[in-house]
Parts: sequence; C-alpha cells; structure tokens
Amino acid sequence: MTKGKATVVTIMATGGIGVLSVVSAGCGLFGSGPAAQRRATAVKKPGAHRPPGGGKRVTIDWAASPITQTGTRRTMIRAFEASHPNLRVKLITMSTNTDTTRTTLSTEIEGGSATPDVYMGDVIWPAQFAHSGLAVNLSKYLPHGFWSRFAPGLVTGASYRGRVYAAPFFMDAGFLYYRKDLLKKAGLPVPRTWQQLASDAKTLQAKHLVRYGYVWEGAAYEGLTCDLMEFLADSGAKVLNSAGTKVVLNSPRAISAVTFMRSLITRGISPAAVSTYQEPDAMNTFDAGDAAFMRNWDYAWSNSQTPGTKVVGKVGVEPMPAFASAKQPGYSCIGGWDLYVNPHTRHLQQALTFIRWMTSAPAQRILAKKYSEVPTNYAVQKESSVRKKNPVLRIVARVRLVSRPSSTPLYPQLSQALYQNVNAALTGQIAPTTAITRASREISADLAGRGL
Amino acid sequence: MRAGTGSAVRRARTGWRFMAPALTVVVAVTIFPIVYSIYMSFNRIQLTLHGFHFQWVGLSNYRLLMASGLYRYAMEFTIVYAVITVLAELILGTLAALILQRLRRGRSGLLALLLLPWSLITVISAEMWGYIYNGVYGVLDAILLSLHIIRTPVVWLGFPQLAIASTMFADVWKTMPFVAILVLAGLEMIPVEVIEASYMDGAGSWQIFWRVQLPLIRSTMSLAVLFRILQAFGLFDLPFVLTGGGPGTATESIAVLGYQVMFQDLSFGPGAAVAASTTALVLIMAMVFLWVFRGMAEEGMA
Repeated sequence: MTKGKATVVTIMATGGIGVLSVVSAGCGLFGSGPAAQRRATAVKKPGAHRPPGGGKRVTIDWAASPITQTGTRRTMIRAFEASHPNLRVKLITMSTNTDTTRTTLSTEIEGGSATPDVYMGDVIWPAQFAHSGLAVNLSKYLPHGFWSRFAPGLVTGASYRGRVYAAPFFMDAGFLYYRKDLLKKAGLPVPRTWQQLASDAKTLQAKHLVRYGYVWEGAAYEGLTCDLMEFLADSGAKVLNSAGTKVVLNSPRAISAVTFMRSLITRGISPAAVSTYQEPDAMNTFDAGDAAFMRNWDYAWSNSQTPGTKVVGKVGVEPMPAFASAKQPGYSCIGGWDLYVNPHTRHLQQALTFIRWMTSAPAQRILAKKYSEVPTNYAVQKESSVRKKNPVLRIVARVRLVSRPSSTPLYPQLSQALYQNVNAALTGQIAPTTAITRASREISADLAGRGL
Repeated sequence: MRAGTGSAVRRARTGWRFMAPALTVVVAVTIFPIVYSIYMSFNRIQLTLHGFHFQWVGLSNYRLLMASGLYRYAMEFTIVYAVITVLAELILGTLAALILQRLRRGRSGLLALLLLPWSLITVISAEMWGYIYNGVYGVLDAILLSLHIIRTPVVWLGFPQLAIASTMFADVWKTMPFVAILVLAGLEMIPVEVIEASYMDGAGSWQIFWRVQLPLIRSTMSLAVLFRILQAFGLFDLPFVLTGGGPGTATESIAVLGYQVMFQDLSFGPGAAVAASTTALVLIMAMVFLWVFRGMAEEGMA
C-alpha cells in the first residue's frame, strides 16, 4: 500500500498525469507566497490545457458538517490554502444531522446549482447519489493509482457499479468502550465475546459497582442499523446476497442476533431506554459513570476525556466482541465521511485538487494528530506517531469492518425496514422472528420497486 | 348602455391589473408547486444530471401507497392524533380562556406565561420534552420515583401507546394556548349586557356558558379548530425530534413518512403522492370537522 502511494507521488512529481496535476504540482514545486504565485501563473498561461480560471485566484465552495472538534475544517482549509496560493476555499456549514444535510445537498444539486463545488457526505451515500446524478464519477478524472492511498475496503464502499463516486475523507467504526477501573475492581479481563460481556456486566451490576452493564444505539434511526449490522455479521448473517440483488436476511442466525440484542434489555444489562438511545444518549450514560460498557464511534473517546467527566482516566477501548472467542474481534460497522464533487461545478479541476490534498498524507496527519479523527489514508493510519495519539487510533488497524448494505441506491429504504422492525423487537412489541421476517419482506418489496 | 358595459370592462381590466402582482405571487408560490407536485405524483421520476426525468405511470404511485402498511398506519395515526389533540386543546383551551376572562388582576402576566409554550420553536420544546421523558435521567421519572408513584423508571418513548400519548401531551401543552387566546378573544367580544341579561333571567353559570357564550363564540372556535386541524396534519417536527417516528413506526406521521420517502429515499414520485394525498385528506378532514362542530354548536343554541 505504501508502495502504491509512492507511485502516486512519483507520477504527480513527473507530471505524468498532465492537466490534473498542473495546479498542485505547480504549487508544490514553486512553494508558497505571492512571488511563487506569480511564477506559477506565468508557467500555466501558455498551456493549452489550462484549467478554467487556472491563472486567477479561484474560490471553491466546500459544504461540510461540523467535525467533532471545533476548528477542524478551518484548520484544514488554511493548510490547504497555504500550499495552494491560487485557491481559496469557502466553507459552507451543513447540519450535524446527516439526513438534513442530504436534503439540503440533494435539493440544491438537483436544482442545478453550481455550488457547493465539493461536499462532505456520508459513507452510505455513494450508490444513491451516483444513481441520482448528484455526484461526479471521480474514477473518470482521478488516476487508478490515486485510489491505492486508502485503507482496504474504503474505495469499494465509495463505489457504485465499478465506478468511484467519493473519496474517503475520514473514517469511523464501532468500538467497545469499557471501564478499566470497574473491571479491575472485579478482577475481570476485557470481554472478547458477547456472552462474556453480558456475564461481566451482570457481575458488575450484582456487585453494585455500576447501574447498567452495556449501552448502545437502539433508537429507530440509522444508528441502529449500524449496531445491528455488527451483531448480524458476528452471528454470520447477511442482509443481501453479494450481488446486492436478493434478500438473504431471513435466517436462524439473524434471528439469534436480534434475540441476543433484545435479551440485553430483558436481562437488565442494557436499560430499557436503550431502545430510544442515539449516540449522545449512550455517551451521556457512560460518561456519567452509569454504564460499564458502551458501543460508540471514535468521537466518543475525546468526549470521555473531557475534563469534568466522571470517567476521565478510567476508560479503555477495544475492538468489538464476537459471538465466539475463535472469531474475535467481532465486526465494527464502517462509518465516516467522504468528499464528493457536485456534477454542476464550474471548478472541477480545483475541486479535484482539493480532494487530492485532503486525502494526502500531510492533510490526513493533521486530521489524525491534531483532531483525533481516523484517517482514511492507509499509510498515515499506520504511522506510529499517529497511533500514539490515542487508544482508538492505536487499535483501529485491528478492527474487523463490516459495511452496511449501501451498494444499492435503495439503501435508505432497506435501512428503514431494518431499524424500524428491529426497534419494535427491542421494545418487545414484536418477536425477533417477526422483526426479521417483516424486515425481509419489506426489503424484498423495496428491491422489486414495490416498497414505499 | 354600451358606454356602461365599456366602463365595466375597463374597470374589470384595471382591477385585474391591480391584482396581477399579488396573483403572480400566489400562482408562483402556491398554485404552481401544488399542481407540479400533483403532476409529479403521476410519474416515475429519475434524477439525472439534467434534472428530473419524468415517465408517466398513471396511478401506480398511489397503488404503491395503498398497498403499503407504513402508509396506511401513518394515515391512521395522523387522523387519530389530529382528532384527539385538537379536541383536547379545544376543551382545555376554552377552560383556560374562561378562567382568564374572570381574572381581574394579573391577567396579562398569566397570559404571557401561558403563551410561552406557543412561542417556543417546536424543535427546541421537543428537545426539552426529550429530556423530560428520558428513560434514564428524565425529569418526569425522577419526580414520579420520588413520589413513589412508580417503582422503576418508565421509558416514556419506548412503547407505542406510551410514546403516542407522550407526544400528544407535548403537543397539547404547546398548542393549547393558541386555542385559549382565540377563544378568549371571542369571549371578550360578547357584550357584557348579554351576560348580565342572562343573569337577570335567572340563568346559572353553566347555562350561561352553554347556551349564551358558546353559541356566540362558535365562529371563533371553528376558526381555531380549522387552524389546528391544518397544523395537526402537518405534524412533523415534534415526532421527528422526539421519537424519530419510533418506537418501530408508532409515531410516524404522514409528514414524517413523506419526508422519508421524498428526501431520504429520494423517491420523488411516491413522495409527491404522499404529499398530494395528505392535502386531499386535510381538505376533507377540515370540512368534516367544521360541519360536525357547527352542527354541535347549533344544537347547543336551540
């Protein structure tokens, strides 16, 4: 992988990919500052393939939701501008709610708006956005070698029908957070299996060391689909066949996964309220010292380390447990954000330059080392200075990933069928068997175009 | 004669000319979108790089809705929700108005206090109710636990009936003041002499309310009801924030469903069909409500 990246650099340096690298290579060679800018302009002027507006200062609009820590986006923009004197980036802040952001972006882009030029979008969007003409097919413009910089599996997740529609920007995954102090007090090791987690939780609760055993995301929303995918993958169940054309969900394995999820509530390991929990709720309970274990994303780490939180210094993080110790670690659902280009942009080349830089080692290092985000750049992910930054970054390479079945443009419907029915099972309204049967039926209706 | 017709035509023409700016706005922002979304609902729509691609499919989007359990449930839920909350708001709002009317002092202060929930943005008050109903740290559970009314925390938003009732309660809390203000305005418009005359005739308070005040504020009340029905059918922000439509799909209103279909699934044809069918339903419901309510009020007057 590192070799692959080196090739990209070489190609860029030799100008082998022509037009695309004019801007970035130019700036890279001449350094920064106004003088460099003048010279860069002078060099580019005679070129017949000069990118539109390449000689002038171009401003591109980047639409992005706030990233966990404040200042992340602006710092990245400043660093980008410093190395690209010809380019300016205007930040357009999007909602922190993924669905609201999708609404805003899809409405703007379908209306033909040329802005934003680049937008940050969810990892589950590529198929839907590609299908609806809301994203540029990046593999048409970025060379094959470019994609080798990313950690395994990420590019596949950003592809639809063999074409790549988004560049992975930073990733996230499900992690098991646990209370080191409580486990130590009870003389327990970190659980590697779900059964062990359940029994440890019971032990800690019985000793009145903690109120709840395990908190996770069980509300009727996208987050439940993530948690569900982990349990399903752990028990060997799948939602769709590998071609993504047929539902294969209805199986004893899937039912046993949901039965286990429900049992966490009935056995009192998870609070009944977990069926209304989203990430912040789980985080609140855990950070208040009321839960021994928690499933959450990368950002939960920095939250638990906020001074004043009751659990500072008492939290450990490990990959998720599995159903059998031979199969551990268990699966973690892939989350995170990609960079997409608006098909109506008037600054395609500049947008691509921006994406190249944002996924390059220097940019990804800022993301990881300064802001604790998990880099998508595989070389950076493995750098020891990055891994030392925090325990999440240390274990991220050991995590076993599972993606949501988002390779179909119908994914939102699929996910609704999953989380609505499984949420009903978590509250006890319907049996796990019914939940799986109904979800399967609804998904196959969706795939056949008969679903709502 | 001829000259007269000419001037009438001229006058009509001038009238239209004066109306033109307002009409243009109405057509652009109201009529066009409605007609367009009805047209959309009869098409299969594919988003492309060049905008919408339409393919006429007749009633197939509506057939999709009719066959969908989600849609039927959302419809039923929205209707039941609208009927119950509007009735509750009407009764409570009228009671509040009657009390306010009798107050000699502190009325404006109380009025301002009463209006507070109404003036809050729903998204914010919904978040607040979220904290109140929270199944672990919720204020409501804390109070009920300390009063020994419940023994273990109740997950208010975790069970269908409970979640529906909790959502309704938050809704009534927020919109009851609106009804109260309108009814109070209606009560204030009744001349004092009318009430005094009823007293002289020996009518009791109940009789005065039922036979004198209520019939006289009938039109104000119908207006309040009409406004509320229209709003209740657009029920979106409260369940969207409070429950996300859950548990399962228990609190998924027709507007939340429409949003999901339209903007999460980007399934514009069926989404438009949801919107168009909702509009039709709102019109019907508003008419039925007004008709029933007028009938009731007239009966009371007789």
